[in-house]
Amino acid sequence: MISRQLFFAVSFAAIAAIASPAASQAESVLYRDYDLGDGASPSLDPISPNRFYQANDLIYSRLIRQDENGEPSPELATGWTANEAATEWTLALQEGVLFHDGSTFDAADVKYSFERINDPALESPVASVLSMIDHVEVVDDLTAKIVLTSPHAGLVVLLMDYRVRMIPEGSGDTIGENANGTGPFKMDTYDPEGRTILVANEAYWEGRPKLDRIELIAIPDTEARIQALLAGQLDTTSVSRDQVLLFDGSEDFVLQNYPTGDWFGIIFRTDTPPFDDPRVRKAVRVAVDRNAMIKLMVGEGNGTITCDHPVMSNDPYWAEIDCSQNIEEAKRLLAEAGYPDGIEFDLYTSDLEPGMVRYAEVYQQQVAAAGITANVKIAPSDGYWEDIWMVEPVSMTSWSQRVADQILNEAYRSTSSWNESYFANSKFDEYLDLARSSLDFDESKAYYGKAQELLFEEGGSFIAFFENGVRAVSRHVTGLPAVPEDYIRWHLVAKDAE
Amino acid sequence: MIRLILQRLGAAGVTLIIICIMVFAAVEVMPGDACTAFLGRDAKGTILEKCQLERGLDRPALERFGEWAGGMIQGDLGMSMNRNKPIEDIVGWRLRNTVILAATATLFGVPIALLLGVIAGLRRDRPVDLILSSIAIFSMTIPEFVSATFLILIFSITLGWTSGVVTASYNAPALDLVASTALPTAALSLILIAHILRMVRSSVIDVMESDFVLMARLKGVPFRQIVWRHVLPNSLLPTINVIGLTIAWLLGGMVVVETVFNYPGLGRLAVDAVSDRDLPLIQTIAIILGSVYILTNLAADLVSLLLNPKLRTYRT
Amino acid sequence: MTDRAAATFVARRLGVLGAVLAKPSGAFGVGIVALHLVLALFGPLFVPYDYAQQNVDTMMLAPSAEHWFGTDRLGRDVFTRTVLGGREAIVISTLATVIAMAWGGFLGIFLALVGGRIDEIIMRGVDAMLSLPWVLTVMIFVTALGTSSSVLVPVLGFSYGLAVIRIARSAALDFVARDFILAAQARGERRWTIVIRELLPNVRDALSVEAAMQWSWMILGFSSLSFLGFGVAPPTPDWGLMISDSRGLMAVAPWTVLWPMAALSTLVIGINLAADAFAKVLGVDRTRKVPGQ
Repeated sequence: MISRQLFFAVSFAAIAAIASPAASQAESVLYRDYDLGDGASPSLDPISPNRFYQANDLIYSRLIRQDENGEPSPELATGWTANEAATEWTLALQEGVLFHDGSTFDAADVKYSFERINDPALESPVASVLSMIDHVEVVDDLTAKIVLTSPHAGLVVLLMDYRVRMIPEGSGDTIGENANGTGPFKMDTYDPEGRTILVANEAYWEGRPKLDRIELIAIPDTEARIQALLAGQLDTTSVSRDQVLLFDGSEDFVLQNYPTGDWFGIIFRTDTPPFDDPRVRKAVRVAVDRNAMIKLMVGEGNGTITCDHPVMSNDPYWAEIDCSQNIEEAKRLLAEAGYPDGIEFDLYTSDLEPGMVRYAEVYQQQVAAAGITANVKIAPSDGYWEDIWMVEPVSMTSWSQRVADQILNEAYRSTSSWNESYFANSKFDEYLDLARSSLDFDESKAYYGKAQELLFEEGGSFIAFFENGVRAVSRHVTGLPAVPEDYIRWHLVAKDAE
Repeated sequence: MIRLILQRLGAAGVTLIIICIMVFAAVEVMPGDACTAFLGRDAKGTILEKCQLERGLDRPALERFGEWAGGMIQGDLGMSMNRNKPIEDIVGWRLRNTVILAATATLFGVPIALLLGVIAGLRRDRPVDLILSSIAIFSMTIPEFVSATFLILIFSITLGWTSGVVTASYNAPALDLVASTALPTAALSLILIAHILRMVRSSVIDVMESDFVLMARLKGVPFRQIVWRHVLPNSLLPTINVIGLTIAWLLGGMVVVETVFNYPGLGRLAVDAVSDRDLPLIQTIAIILGSVYILTNLAADLVSLLLNPKLRTYRT
Repeated sequence: MTDRAAATFVARRLGVLGAVLAKPSGAFGVGIVALHLVLALFGPLFVPYDYAQQNVDTMMLAPSAEHWFGTDRLGRDVFTRTVLGGREAIVISTLATVIAMAWGGFLGIFLALVGGRIDEIIMRGVDAMLSLPWVLTVMIFVTALGTSSSVLVPVLGFSYGLAVIRIARSAALDFVARDFILAAQARGERRWTIVIRELLPNVRDALSVEAAMQWSWMILGFSSLSFLGFGVAPPTPDWGLMISDSRGLMAVAPWTVLWPMAALSTLVIGINLAADAFAKVLGVDRTRKVPGQ
């Protein structure tokens, strides 16, 4: 161990000594990687299914963004109020904001951006998040009123979605190729398979960005990304759990560890025997020691336990449930359901993301003691979402962070197209409706809580924990706090001379 | 001779047509299409239908193949399905990059391989030979991602002599690419050297055991002279054939090296194209790889025909 | 075959083996292969740990007296998993080699005999298949057909058999023009009788050396399939899967990658050395071998 640290200390010292300050001192440029995950020609339209979000985060602004704690804070909207019934929300807008082409941002752009999100012809995935918006009224240049079809107390939280970004009125047909936003950086060179270059927006309304340029470099392979970072070709990248050890004792990089709402899950189709019996569904979930699973998968302290519901622990609507391992209970439930000798099933997983196969392997070992035999099947990552997910009775899934209302509606409401466990529970749907319509926080929290408890008792998803995000950042970079990607305020990020 | 070449070229044309049909059929058999690959989890309902309509995927397979083949004959490679660019714009650069990488690896690897192969052959079954032969097989068996990771760890991260992965754009000037290909070249050369070394070694051994060499030795011709006069010319000429084939194989076998080093070449593009189900792109790459294979095969056969008149009486 | 003929046959075989073992590289190669086969056969009897047992307290330990090869990401004993990791690969690649040799060998000899149009057409098809990169061909097959071993064995057997066709065909062509075959044809014997009685024994040596080489490439090919996620299902240990699983750990826990890699490499090296030695003893020319397939 000591010798290993020494080895890396030496290697990092070597890089520090040799890394050539070839880049000219005058320009400060941040190099980031980009994984080509959304295809080879990702769209600059923020609501496209294959949006180029690493670039779009820099180009466009939202109305409301998260502060460092994830709470709503003003961006283009300086304030917001709702009527008594929570059906109308009035937003006051920031004055003097310019788009990159020089035109002024106003309420008409807000109206246009929202109506485009809900335009049925575009079929944007964002529509499912904001489908309760009926229309937007322009009260005056700097005031917009959002009118809803049904009450929604948590609208503000939904507006923080990383895709809900403002574009100029009438730009919809061209925005995919010709980016034009109000964000801190402007598109300079669009080359998603090579280097995409964004330059500072001199007229940014919060002040000129500290960086002159951000370059997004396409590197699809995770190993290659880390190697590029270590060799000084990147300034920051996300780091997988196994790679964390590479940075032990590093002088040149800071590791940032922050909680996220990202999770893997195992989906048991609730419409397919034997999982149509809620007792079987609970048995295959309570048989797991979630603490051990965190230790094996991500290491102690790098994940937060959840009891089979997808609401992350720092979400205001999170419900605390006890779900410690209970082998006896699992056996009893199985016996009651008519399987005294246990059950056997095929568990499909794939190499889609690092750790996804291992998750299935660890689960397999965990439940074996309860007489549950899970045969792990590794399916090709090609076509996994078409041929395996929501097709096979038991398969793995992966979700990124979403706020409570959004994830509960998207993944479990009986009518949602992504209801992956085919969960059809009218009481659950009713709780979600009630939670939305109450402006009283405690009351709506109680309803969301009941929905989460219902998922633990009867749901078809096994979710053991949320994984922390880890990001390695060069020592030379400042103003980049340990927060999820879409919380970052890019105009504050700086890089000192090397 | 000319008739033979023409005959072979004709056969090559037939082979290429078979490749096209096979690749098309295979991609049709594979689950999913360009749209499901492109849309991922969103591939449902009207959004899927619209995408398939836009890309003409709703039409019968034969009709699409006919249309593609028709364009192909007129020199129109078509458009990539997921990149919204003409195929030649995409493939041209990658082909150039792959050729650059293959060429540097060949220029670097072949001389080393010849030298080591001759040494191993002349010192047959001695320690030098056993070590060289074992290392050669060993480097054929270690996966490229392992050797690549070690190369980066040592030369880029620890020693800092060269950049690690390639971050140059696919359309960067050739010189920029060459400058950053040191490690991919090394990784590739390792395999190249291993293969050619083994061929050269056994070829040298064969010649050393041949009657005329034995004769020369009995006559007391100095060893050095035997090696230069007889062994080298007679053993190296046949390996030209093998070197050609090895290089052709390299063009297709660089997939892993290109991925690990993030090198923007044809191999990586091929894998992307398959997972994107981007049929016109897959077809074009298959034709290129097929032609390279066939042409080098032809060239190798002609060379051995020229060198060994005995073969001319056989059927080829 | 009379007893006497059988006896001389056995004696000849033993003589070949003896000659191979007399060479240092031959003895070395045969020894390694034998060792691997013994480990694969009897491994389960003496491995110290349960290959599937995960353990939170022993994650990624360096090699020690307790864990000779260290432990992996999930706290499992790497020695145990390395010893058992070749079983599946050896079985599947052996079966697939038999298939490859059978269909490739017969088709190749057949084409050499019939010649003409049929030979031309089929060889063009074989060329077409061979000119596509191996990984691409298998990827297409596997995505279309699935990854169970009942699919993998025929797919590997089929794709590796393509290269065998060429080799068998040219080995047979060398003999077709010889006197005794012409004589047999002149006697009016049927083609298949000729194949079985005259040709097969003559190309047998070339083909058996080829089989050994194919076997070693197949083991490598199978491990790269495992690496891509096809092949063996967890928690069954497999070299390719172990390497792919731990490749991210190479800089921090190299033993998780290097041991299975060493096992895989030594087996392939052993087969190659042995095959080279056999080739030399049997007088088979292997200089014109195309790499890769």
